[in-house]
Amino acid sequence: MLSAVTSGAVYGIRSRMIQVEVDVSHGLPCFQIVGLPGSAVREARERVKVALKNVGVKIPPMCINVNLSPADLPKSGTMFDLPVAVGIMIALSQIPQQAVRDTLLLGELGLSGELKPVKGVLPIVQEAARHGIRRCVLPAENAWEGALTGTIESVGVANLKEAAAYLLGEKACGNVEDKPEAFDFDAAVRRETEGSRLDFSDINGQESLKRAAEVAAAGFHHLLLVGPPGSGKTMLARRIPSILPPLSLEESLEVSAVYSVSGLLQETRALKTQRPYLNPHHTITGQALAGGGRVPAPGIISLAHRGVLFLDELSEFRRETLDILRQPLEDKQVQIARSSGTYVYPADFMLVGAMNPCPCGHYPDPARCRCTPYEVKRYLGRISGPLLDRMDICVEAQPVEFQDIAEHRAQESSAQIRERVMAARERQRARYEDCTFRFNGDMSAGEVDRFCLLGEREKRFMEKVYGRMRLSARGYHRILRVARTIADLADSEQIKEIHLAEAACYRQAGGKYWQA
Amino acid sequence: MTDKNNRTEEMNVQDKAYMHWLYQAAGMGNRRFLEELARLGTPETVYQMMQTGLLESKLGKQYQKKIRQMIQFTQGYDVLGAYEGMLARGIRFVTKEEQDYPAKLKELADSPYGLYYVGRMPDQSRRSVAVIGARECSEYGRHMAKRFGRELAEAGIQVISGMARGIDGISQHAALRAEGYSLGVLGCGVDICYPQENRQLYEELADKGGICSEYPPGMAPRALLFPLRNRIISALADAVLVIEARKKSGTLITVDMALEQGREVYALPGRATDLLSDGCNCLIKQGAGLITSPQELLNELSGTCSAKESCRQQELICLEGRQGQLLSLLDYQPQSVQTLQIRYEEKYNEYVTIPELLNELMQLCLHDAARQVCGSYFMKSAE
Repeated sequence: MLSAVTSGAVYGIRSRMIQVEVDVSHGLPCFQIVGLPGSAVREARERVKVALKNVGVKIPPMCINVNLSPADLPKSGTMFDLPVAVGIMIALSQIPQQAVRDTLLLGELGLSGELKPVKGVLPIVQEAARHGIRRCVLPAENAWEGALTGTIESVGVANLKEAAAYLLGEKACGNVEDKPEAFDFDAAVRRETEGSRLDFSDINGQESLKRAAEVAAAGFHHLLLVGPPGSGKTMLARRIPSILPPLSLEESLEVSAVYSVSGLLQETRALKTQRPYLNPHHTITGQALAGGGRVPAPGIISLAHRGVLFLDELSEFRRETLDILRQPLEDKQVQIARSSGTYVYPADFMLVGAMNPCPCGHYPDPARCRCTPYEVKRYLGRISGPLLDRMDICVEAQPVEFQDIAEHRAQESSAQIRERVMAARERQRARYEDCTFRFNGDMSAGEVDRFCLLGEREKRFMEKVYGRMRLSARGYHRILRVARTIADLADSEQIKEIHLAEAACYRQAGGKYWQA
Repeated sequence: MTDKNNRTEEMNVQDKAYMHWLYQAAGMGNRRFLEELARLGTPETVYQMMQTGLLESKLGKQYQKKIRQMIQFTQGYDVLGAYEGMLARGIRFVTKEEQDYPAKLKELADSPYGLYYVGRMPDQSRRSVAVIGARECSEYGRHMAKRFGRELAEAGIQVISGMARGIDGISQHAALRAEGYSLGVLGCGVDICYPQENRQLYEELADKGGICSEYPPGMAPRALLFPLRNRIISALADAVLVIEARKKSGTLITVDMALEQGREVYALPGRATDLLSDGCNCLIKQGAGLITSPQELLNELSGTCSAKESCRQQELICLEGRQGQLLSLLDYQPQSVQTLQIRYEEKYNEYVTIPELLNELMQLCLHDAARQVCGSYFMKSAE
């Protein structure tokens, strides 16, 4: 007899619905799986056979053929165990085909028939919802993840027996876990923001650093922090997510999907409610950063999607590793090509880099820095120019003075700053409604000319700045982009001289910074 | 008549070629040996003697090793060709016996027998000052080196220094900018630009000033040669001015040499807390002349010390309102924006936000009154 069960697979973070077709017919006894199964899928044969036996289903000596359709897509992972087992039971007429209508099945089987959690449930369930699936039967530990979208009924089962009983409608016989509660996203986000221990008010002094962070957050500009060790660069970066607007549900689903694919959602058992903050160590490899592997997995930059990627000690990173960032910074996603297909992971993050100004870290303090100008120059030279080019805002941290630690002035809280940031972002949203980009930081040169119009007075000012600072065309556009954000923060549609002047201070002095 | 003139010139070239050969072959630092050789006759005679093997019998056994080295050096050496090749590259060679050799250097107990130079040597009728200091200098030092270099040059003083990075190069550069003369004394061959980053200065010096060295062209820079060239810097100058130096600094070697040679030593004071001014402050404590402006130094040099002139007022750029107030807070020491914010509040009892402050500072920069050092640091403009 023939049966068909719906399941799904993840490619990158995009998912595809997979039909698991099972045919059991007379002939020489065999059990084979076709449809480009990976080794984990091929091994499903053994797991399913033993699991069925151990829950009391007798497999007759017949010819069993399993096809995973569409058959030209390579399949990997263990989530097909449950659908294959249920498919065989349907083909053996132990469960009616009707029972799995509009139902998605996912799960790995143990030999005793118990169900084990799998990765990537969230993106598959999201995709299933788009295909009109109404319920999903998942391993008990994944049930909450299936419930996150809110549109699909999620059922968690502990073992194969329970699954069969549930599908047969004999709810009473097993202890099928109740449907997980619908997830109250807004409440969770509120709890998260209010309960956060990291706040801008923790930072004493460093006013110019905080201001730069505010501007960067408002316009989604990448930020470069330069300063001596212990001046609070890391402390500041750690707190940047707290001044970014809270995640929207839509964003959260995107972020959570990446975490689901990486198997990282299991720890929190909920949608991501906090903007990601990732700070990889500088010894990280390019693959770990961008994603990769034989069967590609998302890298750090994808985990930082919609959040902050903080690279501390930027100059200590290997040059090749940093160069990998260039394309994702441009495209907001990373593509990994394998023979099995091209995987696309999102990577729309705010890059925050921190570095010492020189090898000893104390430049330009002549009393403490003994680095030669050449050494200082070479130190910066380790970071590739194209990457520095993408950093719109460069700001220096100064060593913390004793008064700053001892004197507790009232500091602005993250909530106050966040409010301004959100207002500035609202202005941008309205302005760029029918554009392909969302923030000032994403504007290309042509778009800068369109959206950053200057008055006569401002033009004259920029002309002076251009000559004096020996700007390049790129540097000029960078200043305009940042000035646009500063004007947005000041709630002004017109970019004024004061905005331009501040933006000009944040320009990266590049080679000039380290002039001998 | 012309024929005779030509002949003498030719002779001169030939003579000098042999002098040059002797200087290189007999080892530059070996004065005793050179004197012994000079007693035997002209360099050309010495050359002949060496070729015929007479040299050893004339000088005696103790110079056996030296003579062998000479012979070794001369193998495959084209005396005339090497000298003319050097001339063609614009490098001149002058020996102690000639008129062109700086008289001030001749007084030196261990003056070099010969000097190589590019461009021209300092005018002996004009005054020269050696402006020296640390390679890793502060913004204050940078500013002062520039100012002294420029104003000394404007007053017709020749600036002599070591073309090193930091104070040396900055003062020389400023002197050339002011259309003055400057001489760079190198610790390597004059055809080698060391440090590489001063390439532009090197070329300008060759063009408008001079570069000299006691080492033959092609000699690579070596650490132990630099203290030796310092004696030439101080010897060529009438006075030595130290802009910035740490307590243990190579600059102080030059100062020691200058004192030995009886040159006046002046130093620019700095703050007691600045490590980079420690050396200068120490020198002043020990009796070096305290100089705070180029005019003071000029007065000292001309021997007309007048107190009223010594404090030359810096023309202040007049700016009104907050910009003027801010300018009064700026210093030649870079200060961060936050420091300025706090100091402004302390002095004028008014809180300025960072964006406002950055705006005012940027305006000052555009007026040339201030300078942005690195991203968040500002100082008074050095121009």
